[in-house]
Formats: sequence, structure tokens, C-alpha cells
Amino acid sequence: MQSHTKDFRQGAGAALSDPKIQANLEGLYNGFHQARIDASDQTPDWEALQDKGRAIKAHTLDNLAYYLEMVERNVIASGGHIYFARDAEAASNYVVNLAKERGIELVIKGKSMVSEEMALNHRLEEEGIEPVETDLGEYIVQLAEETPFHIIAPAIHKSRGEVSELFVEKLNVPMYDNIEDLTREARDQLRQKFVDAGMGITGANFIVAETGTVTLVTNEGNGRMCTSMPKIHVAITGMEKVVPSIEDLGLFLRLLIRSATGQRISSYVTTVTGPRGEDEVDGPEEFHLVIVDNGRSKMLADPNLREALYCLRCGACLNACPVYRKVGGHAYGWVYPGPIGAIVSPMLTNLSEAKDLPFASTLCGACKEACPVKINIPRMLLYLRKELTQGETYPEHKSVSMAESTAVKGWRASVSSSFMMRLSNLGGRLLQLPFVRGGRIDRLPSPLSGWTKHRKFPAIASKPFRTRWKNIGKK
Amino acid sequence: MTERNEFFNTIRQALGPQTEAPNLTGTGSSALGDNSDAVSARSQAIQAYIDEQSGPLMDSLSESATGAGWKVARFDDLDKAGDHIVGIVRDVEANLVVRSRQDVLESGIVEAWLASLGVDVVPMALGEHSEHTVDELRSLAERADIGITGVDYAIAETGSCVLIPSAQVSRLVSLLPPIHIAIVQRGQVLPTLDELFTIRRRDFLDGNLGSYMNLISGPSRSADIEYTLVTGVHGPGEVHMILVG
Amino acid sequence: MNQTDNAVKASLFVTCIIDQFFPEVGEAAVRVLRRLGVEVEFDQSQTCCGQPAFNNGFWNDAKPTARRLVDSYEGEGNVVVPSGSCAAMLRVFYNELFHDEQDTLRRAQALAPHVFEFTEFVSDVLGAENREGLFHATKPMRVTYHESCHLKRELGVDLQPRSLIKSLPGVELVEMPQAEVCCGFGGTFSVKYADISAAMLNDKIANIQSANVDAVVAGDMSCLMHIGGGLEKQEAGIRAIHIAQLLDERI
Repeated sequence: MQSHTKDFRQGAGAALSDPKIQANLEGLYNGFHQARIDASDQTPDWEALQDKGRAIKAHTLDNLAYYLEMVERNVIASGGHIYFARDAEAASNYVVNLAKERGIELVIKGKSMVSEEMALNHRLEEEGIEPVETDLGEYIVQLAEETPFHIIAPAIHKSRGEVSELFVEKLNVPMYDNIEDLTREARDQLRQKFVDAGMGITGANFIVAETGTVTLVTNEGNGRMCTSMPKIHVAITGMEKVVPSIEDLGLFLRLLIRSATGQRISSYVTTVTGPRGEDEVDGPEEFHLVIVDNGRSKMLADPNLREALYCLRCGACLNACPVYRKVGGHAYGWVYPGPIGAIVSPMLTNLSEAKDLPFASTLCGACKEACPVKINIPRMLLYLRKELTQGETYPEHKSVSMAESTAVKGWRASVSSSFMMRLSNLGGRLLQLPFVRGGRIDRLPSPLSGWTKHRKFPAIASKPFRTRWKNIGKK
Repeated sequence: MTERNEFFNTIRQALGPQTEAPNLTGTGSSALGDNSDAVSARSQAIQAYIDEQSGPLMDSLSESATGAGWKVARFDDLDKAGDHIVGIVRDVEANLVVRSRQDVLESGIVEAWLASLGVDVVPMALGEHSEHTVDELRSLAERADIGITGVDYAIAETGSCVLIPSAQVSRLVSLLPPIHIAIVQRGQVLPTLDELFTIRRRDFLDGNLGSYMNLISGPSRSADIEYTLVTGVHGPGEVHMILVG
Repeated sequence: MNQTDNAVKASLFVTCIIDQFFPEVGEAAVRVLRRLGVEVEFDQSQTCCGQPAFNNGFWNDAKPTARRLVDSYEGEGNVVVPSGSCAAMLRVFYNELFHDEQDTLRRAQALAPHVFEFTEFVSDVLGAENREGLFHATKPMRVTYHESCHLKRELGVDLQPRSLIKSLPGVELVEMPQAEVCCGFGGTFSVKYADISAAMLNDKIANIQSANVDAVVAGDMSCLMHIGGGLEKQEAGIRAIHIAQLLDERI
């Protein structure tokens, strides 16, 4: 997918000035966010589960080559095919070639964020193959020719009215004013697609190394349809999704689902191990697993970023993030939005182009608190800021303005000693003179004008604390 | 160098020097460190537990399944359950019912129950007794009003039915019809997800994992538009769990 | 702990923002600590913890002032900081800043257990809530508490400020919705991304107003500068005060 990470400010501005998007984002706090808090509170020993999940993720990634080879052996043993894709293009080529070889004209898709990385729908269309998204949210987004707004709720920025208008325009159906009718219409539209499709493409929430099993977590049933109806099932996923044993799934399903929607479990959890058995009535005749690197090995190689690969893609950090809840998913400009996206998107695309993402955070820590595997996102944001500023591990991405460097040099001098603090106090008071009214500053010139547009700024005190210290308590 | 080897080389370089076979102890993973005997022992202990606690586990399932959105009904025996199912079929004026060929349904009881209503019952399985091809079965499942299945397990923690498709169990019976009725028998209820996956690991080690498994926990649902919960998106919108015994 | 024990000593790290913009808050903190029997010291060489540069990626520029702070307070006993964010910088983020400077890292880690945020010290160490007759009533006041992010999520301090506020006669603590949500300050975030910051601030102000209070209380002057600046701009008639000031007015 084409990256627009450098347009963060424009995207954020557009979301902030769109009252419909603001209204739809407002629901996240009392919706998914509160549901996650309630679900984790109700789960016995939640924190022990988090620690265990984190330990397993750390172990698996620290030994990723070993576990991926185990996946490979077991997928093949179960009668499936496996392809390791270096990048998005290689993954797309594999899928497109497979579809062409088998004469596929229609592909149905379950939710897969990695296929967004690959811009797979676009590639299939170029080859004359029709891809149809079947997750309701993804279907809406595909009809609207947009990208997902949220990892688990792709169309949450759209109101029912907007969805109705979209359906009228694209599907030539009457205007519906309730969500049940909209959903039924989507079901009816998609039913025939499921019947006709020659290939089903899904993501994978987990890959079990020991058994070569792909696990899918869904609520709508489209994941089951994609893995039951067409003759070929292709699962595409990032290489970080491996867990060692099938016995680890209980733990990870709890962590993922409770953090994502607050449900105790989703409507459907489906495990796929190879194509259908010889004597089975139905199910695909071919199973392909495509495991994608696409830049993940960069994060694997960097000890400061490896934990970003622990991510279960539950979306809890998005819901918890007060910045995401203002700017929404499109502002981030690539597949992964929100706090984890601010790490992953720059690393999988271009760090310096995505410079705004690590900086557009107050470091409030709500993401870290929400994460089911305790990923320390603020720490990594600070690290990426350091890299963008000082360029130690990624010198080619060092990107710092002269103005900022100069300002920091000035700051550094002013805090270099008590004497310099006093001197800066004096200097600051002289500079602020034209702006101060009644101990407050109403308006400052650029680049501080954005601040004073919405807030007053305090004036520098005429006597700093260090001067007053001796006289405290003396009247 | 092949693409595959190049892929693995990149990963090995990213990981740096390390041993090929990781030390599995102390990772917190419940998993691969154990040998097959340990898994067998755990499975046997689970089996003993669910037999002994079958009553309380049914009670607990009844509660969690209701919470998950199942319409739960409990009966002492299959005959009484049959009356209830006849009632459901009559209420929705079903014309065509598909069923799995699990043991609990294989004595022809569904056909017997529904005979009085004149409803067609099609067992969804291939084999010597089936008069239908795969394609015919699929189109029957698409047209069916109700799908009736047994279960392999149920899970008290989450209110889930576990269906493991096989020669006798189609993936589509519990998926395509708008109504799914699942019959759970005493002794099939596991306490939590963890017991299920231990048993499945035992199955894997015995070569019996199979290709597919579904945990079904309530109706098909979506909240993709305005966070508003809607049921019956692609899977059944109405689901009945019938507890027997 | 009572008055007959050897006096508790604490060195005040007043923070640059209080030093330069809100010295009255530092004075209030000193008066409260003294009234609780603490022998307060103030090291004149202190300047800043380094957070402004650190948060913006200028780690090399943050190091000298951070290092000097470690030098000053090493082995000096308790350090009390009237800011969750600056206390978190010392206790948590120096681990990152000095990751490649083993000696300073070790010394910073040795210092960390002696660093206390103000309410943590006043409540956990001094037990101010349980001292009878310490606080006196002034005119009745309704306040709401804003949770500064680093105080709550980096230091895990959320009960202490509330229990202190509740122990004040005549003061009613009214919880506002989303008290734990960031006000949108974030240091230079509020300048670089002023519009996003303002949108977050407006939510915060709406939540404060919904509690129908006389004042919003917090443990960090950076948040309060932001929230207070917004309240004043909107002429909301609600004060934004540091918890040290709330205590000082009643001690």
C-alpha cells in the first residue's frame, strides 16, 4: 500500500474538522475501551496471563527461525503449501500467480491487515481477478474505495446514513435507515460471492508451530465461509504471528479477544490445519500459507524495537489513545494506525517520511496500560524520536530542523547552571514584556501561536523559586 | 540462493548468534517442553475431571452459553429434547433441515422427531447411505432453514460448542442455515479453553488433529456500523444449545 | 511517624517550570512539608531534569543536566518532586537516557528509590491524612482531580492524591468523567500539534465543567498550565491548582 505517512498533519486536520468523524470516534471510549477494561477486570489473574503471553512471544521471536521452520514442516506434513515472502511484492506475486494458474476469477477475502500492506486487492484487479472483502466493515471500506480506519473496526468512522448512501450508490439498492437492513443487504450481496468464488483469502491471528495450524478469530462468520466454501484457501500473515504449541492458544485467545472487543470469546474461533481431509464432506482442496516479512526483520534485528512484534493486533491501544480518538485511523497514512502503528508503520515504510507518527503522542502511556502483552510503546516512541533526531542506528533517517536544534542548544545553555537559569529568567522576562497582561500571555507569535489560540500562557515569574527560597516562612 | 533460504538468512541475521534448538524451560510456555507422556497424563486427568464434574460443568455452561447469546434449554433425555426441537422447527415453519451424522443423531432420531411435521431432513455426509453428491449437499445446506448438529465438546468458560468436521460432520451444517441447533450431552463439557487445547494436542500427537475445528460461541454478529450489535451476518443469527442429561 | 522521631529530611527538586513560572507552588509545597515536620533543603545548583530535550529525541543534550541532577542528589536522602512527570523522568526514564552510560545508569538506579513525588511522600511516608487537626476548614469547596499521565501510569500514584483531598475538611472531591485521560499537553506536542492538543484540552475542560466544581486539582504544573490556560481562555471561572496549594490553604 502506498504510504501517506508524511501527510499526517493534513490527515489529522481533516479528521479534526469533520464533525461526523469526531462523533463516531467519541464512541470508542465508552465502547471498546471500557469493554476491554471490564473484561480484563473480570478475568482471574489477568496480569499473570499478560506476563505469560509476553514471555511466550519474547521466546518465540527470539527463536523465530527455529519456529518458522517448524511451521514449514508441519504445514507440509498436513498437506498444505507454504511460501515465505521477503516483501509485499513477493507475497502478492505468489497469490496472483496461484490464482491465475488455477483460473480463478473471483476471490473472497476475510480480514487481513497484511493483505492491506500488499495492496493485494489492487494487484488482483490489475490481473482481472475480482477480490471481494467479506468482513462487513472491510466490505464497506472497499465499496467506498478507502482504507481501514481501525484494526478491528475498519468502517467505524462511517455513520449508518453514510453507509446507506454508499450502498445506494454502489449496489443500486433502496435507502435503508437501520443497521439490521444494511447488514442483511450486505449478507445477501455476499452470499452468492461465497458460492461462486474459487479462492478464499484470510489472515491469521495465530500460527501454531507445533501443528502447522492457522487460527482465525471472527464474529461474523466470514472467516468460516472463506475457509469452507472455495476450493482453495490462502492464509496470509506476518511472520510474528507464530506461537509454539496449540496448548498456548487458550491463553492468547483470552488476551486477544478480551482486549479487542471485551467479549469473553468471539462468535467463532476457527483452526485450519492443511486442506480438507480425504473423507471430509467439504472444505478446500488446497491450503496455502503465505508468511510475510516485509520489513519485520528490521524490527526483529533492533533490540529496542523487537517487542513491537509481540503485537496481537487487538486494537486496544488505538481505543485507549486520546490522540487516535481525535485524529482517527486515516491520518496515520498507512495500514497500521494508532500507538502501535506509530512504531510499525514507520519501520515497515520509511522512518523519516513517517517522522510525525512517533512525535504525535503526548507519551501519556494509556497504550502501554491497555496492551495485553504489555508492549512498552512510549519507550519505543522515545527511541524512534531519538533516532530521528540523533540518527544512531538509522543515520540515513536523521531528520531534524535547524530551528529545533538551535532551540535545544538555547535550552541546554539555559539549564546548564543555576546562574544560567537566573540569566534566562531575566532574558525571558524582557522578551515577554510586550505580550504580558495581568500575569498571563494571550497571544504569542509563531511557532507558539497555535498554543495561545486555545490557551493562555503564564508569564515568567519576576522572582523565580530559587530567589524566593530563603524567604519562605519569613513575613 | 532460493527465496526461502534468503528469507531465513535475513531472519538469522536479525536474530544474531544463537543456538538452533532453543531452551524451552522457563519460557512460560506451557507447551513444547513437555513430552508426549506428560500430555497424555494431563488429558487423562481432564477426562476424569469432566466425568466427575459433569453436572456442575453443565450448570456452568448453561449460564455462560446464555451470556454468549445461545438460546439454552436443558432436558433429562433426548426424547424430551426432541419435543423441544420439534417446537423450534414448527415455530419457524421450516421446510428443510440439514443435520450432521454424529453419533448422537445417527439413530435417525431427528428424522423421527420431524416426521410428523413433514419436514425433509438431509444428513450432510458422503458415504454409502448418501444419495447426494457434494455439490448437491452444498446447495441443500444453502437452502436449509435449520442445521442440527451434535458437538465434540463444549466449554463452560466461554459458552462455546466445539465442532470438529470429519467424515461425518460437514463444515456447513452449523454455518449456512440461518438457525443452528447444537445438542450437548453430559460429559462433553470442558471447564476452559485450556483443557480443549490439551486434548487437541493429545489428538495431534496421536495423529488425529484433523484439518479443521470451530469454536462456536453464540450467533454470528457484527458491530461494524456505529458499534451497534447486529446478529446473523454470514453465519446463523439464531442459535440453540440443547443440553441433554 | 510522629513529631518525637528524628526529623524527616527531604531535599526539594522544585522543577524548572515551578521555579520559573509558578514559584508560589514551590512555596506552598515547602510550607506543607515543614508543617508536617520535614526539614526541607533546597540545592541551588538544580535546574532541569532534562525531559524537554529527552522527549524530543535530543538525548545527548538532555544528558548533562540529567547527569548533574544525579550528581547533586546522590546520597542526599529523600528527594521530593512536586511533579509526577519530572519524578518519572528520574525514576523511570533515566533508565533509557543512560542506557549507554553504565556508571550514571547505576547511580541513577540507586537514586530512584529515594525519589518521591510530592503526594506520594506526603501520603505514604508522612501519612498526612491521619494526623488529626492538621488541616482546618476554609470556605467549602468542590474540586475535581485530574490524573497527570506520568503520575498515574509511570509511577502508579492514583489513590494518594485522592485520599489527601478527601481528608480536607470542607473540600468535596467530585470525580469527573475520563479523569485519567491525558489533557493533551505532552510538552512540545502542544506546540507542534497544537490543534490535536487543543481538541484533547477541550474534552478535558468539558469534563471538568460537567463536574460543576470550583477548581481542578492535579499534581503537575505542566498539565495545570495547559488546563488552566484553557480554562482562562474560555473564562470558565474554574481555578486550576496544584495539590500542594490546596493543602497549603488549609494547613
